[in-house]
Amino acid sequence: MGSWHRLLQRAGRLLSQLRFSDGWKESRSADRWGLERPWLINWQWVPKRSAGPGFGPHDYARARARGAEVARGTLGDESWEALRRQGYLDVRSTLLPGLTYRLRVGRRIQLLWDTLDDAMRSPWPYDYLCINPVYPLPAVEFTAQLYLYLRDREDEIIRVAAPQPFDQLLGRVF
Amino acid sequence: MGRIIVANRHGDQVVEWDPAAETAEGRAAIAEAEQIISESRARGCAVSKKVDGKHVIDNGPFDPQAEEYQIIAPIAGG
Repeated sequence: MGSWHRLLQRAGRLLSQLRFSDGWKESRSADRWGLERPWLINWQWVPKRSAGPGFGPHDYARARARGAEVARGTLGDESWEALRRQGYLDVRSTLLPGLTYRLRVGRRIQLLWDTLDDAMRSPWPYDYLCINPVYPLPAVEFTAQLYLYLRDREDEIIRVAAPQPFDQLLGRVF
Repeated sequence: MGRIIVANRHGDQVVEWDPAAETAEGRAAIAEAEQIISESRARGCAVSKKVDGKHVIDNGPFDPQAEEYQIIAPIAGG
């Protein structure tokens, strides 16, 4: 009885957050494309590795397939094939000498240093960087976005990165 | 046709417009596309633009002649 009560309370809170989130209402407003604008929504209440309410197995499968298509277009055929073949993409740092970022789908960024001296100059105490999108995305699609950030806006990566001592799945992708 | 790929939990959704449009509806589509770009940037998103077949993060004003834009999610540590 108690557990059901807690479950109902939690569902009620979720509904309230949905109902009173202006962003959610704005994003669902009818426009010519039926577009969901995730930057207008507060996703803090959505569980880790979830796309939020109303998503079933078919929706996840479709989103991941679409995400792979977008990632391929973002990365270009060569990098896309490298990612598929190797399971990772390496991006050379332009700001930190001797550093290569290793991107794996859905996981933290791994730092690879050319030499111990280069590693000693690292701004981070650990060899993994935890960086998530602020709204849920298919993991492979976010990998392509991280690739763009690393290549074109490495300063932003350095600014937000949370260094971690071990590897782990990211929390805001699925 | 120009287009914006909005990467979201659905994988993506696409906004398209005809840069040569002369109708009121066509001009409205261009204005809405521009509004999506500026609104997403104001909320912390990055925007990439396809240049010579390659996506690069772009900070320039909206170009209706662009082949393709993509909205890139803001990132956070942890």
